[in-house]
Amino acid sequence: MSSSVLDEQNFHHCCQLLLQQSEQLKDGWSWEAVQSGLAAPVDADSIEGDIDDKEGEDEGACTVSEGSSQVLQYEYHIVYSCSYCTPVLYFRAFTLEGKSLSLEEVWSSVHPNFRLRLQNSPLNTITLQEHPLLGQPFFMIHPCRTEQFMRPVLQAAQDQHRPVNYVLSWLSVVGPMVGLDVPLKYSTQLHPTASLSSTKPD
Amino acid sequence: MADDKDVLRDVWFGRIPTCFTLNQDEVTEREAEPYYLLLPRVSYLTLVTDKVKKHFLKVMKAEDVEEMWFEYEGTPLKWHYPIGVLFDLHASNTVLPWSITVHFKNFPDRDLLHCPSSSIVEAHFMSSIKEADALKHKSQVVNDMQKKDHKQLWMGLQNDKFDQFWAMNRKLMEYSTEDGGFRYIPFRIYQTMSDRPFIQKLFRPVSPDGNVHTLGDLLKEMDPTALPNDGEPKRYQVVIHGIEPLLETPLQWLSEHLSHPDNFLHICIIPTPTD
Repeated sequence: MSSSVLDEQNFHHCCQLLLQQSEQLKDGWSWEAVQSGLAAPVDADSIEGDIDDKEGEDEGACTVSEGSSQVLQYEYHIVYSCSYCTPVLYFRAFTLEGKSLSLEEVWSSVHPNFRLRLQNSPLNTITLQEHPLLGQPFFMIHPCRTEQFMRPVLQAAQDQHRPVNYVLSWLSVVGPMVGLDVPLKYSTQLHPTASLSSTKPD
Repeated sequence: MADDKDVLRDVWFGRIPTCFTLNQDEVTEREAEPYYLLLPRVSYLTLVTDKVKKHFLKVMKAEDVEEMWFEYEGTPLKWHYPIGVLFDLHASNTVLPWSITVHFKNFPDRDLLHCPSSSIVEAHFMSSIKEADALKHKSQVVNDMQKKDHKQLWMGLQNDKFDQFWAMNRKLMEYSTEDGGFRYIPFRIYQTMSDRPFIQKLFRPVSPDGNVHTLGDLLKEMDPTALPNDGEPKRYQVVIHGIEPLLETPLQWLSEHLSHPDNFLHICIIPTPTD
């Protein structure tokens, strides 16, 4: 019954489509094959993007010191979790001086509408975790609910015989919570050429 | 499960004699004596070092104290790995007691996770248990548990109560006999000489044609260089809880008996000492 499961092969495929679109939109996503060290097969990859987010221009700006807005640099990674069979969003944020933001500062940059709902979740959703490929501290949006919120999205697409890119749809849900906007152009101007088998029911 | 209950006890009560020394660069009002402690292998550094902190704060001014962190021979120690894993990975062939340096300044943001309170350890621990159950039972067991059951697992670890912990943890270790094991084995393989922190993939306890997978089978697929070649001296040790289990040991048995309380089987691959 699990039509909302994403296997690793489909993850790769979705990411490749997303990258093709990103190339046209020039928003900076790239594919990084990670060296797995001591002779393990190289199949761990992540897709990453650097987006300079000028928070001062937005409402709900992230003001670290009172009364002054500042420019923050966000770094986002999409990594596949084989445990949950979902993509996971990892990110970190720095000031221009290179100081990394604390968990509290990250929470305060989340729009209040999202914040309440996220903090009510049992796992407190945004946590500081070790990046599974880099071994460095990154913030992570916990994947244990991903399957749950993706199911209706995929079901609807399937009912209407629309192709859907799991990773793109998922990113458009989780990204905006933490300052990552997914341009509408991803869905309007450019259509992925292939329909994905991940949308078929078991 | 668990006919071999003694093994579970031995794993739970494993201890590492440790000597904590204050980093020389810390500003103190008088000389800081080292502090000795028996560290539980299955616990976490930030959970069992309140006494260490108290001890060193006695000789320091409050304004010189920031978040405490630990280092061994230049390597910052990741509190979110179980203590036994840190020891096996970084210090297993050295003389005891394990000598850890304590810092109160210059927290290495880029290497270590912040841990301002034990609730962070709890969240990390529960998140690992959930992930392990996603692998073992598609999250069914952990989702069927109530909040107080989750608390019981955590309190068992925090207060070092073997019976309290295992009364609940045995549910996470169940499987139907027709399956012959868990859906997938929650494991992580660590190597000091790799850039990647660990290897974690999907691996079943039983092959499609019904053969039981062993520790050797797992390594052959994940990290073949860790295995000895015929006729050559052994280059690597495969260590779990400070011992080298036989490579013929069934993986399902290892997962049930040698997993840490977080329900993951943590396997360290370390170079064989050359002495």
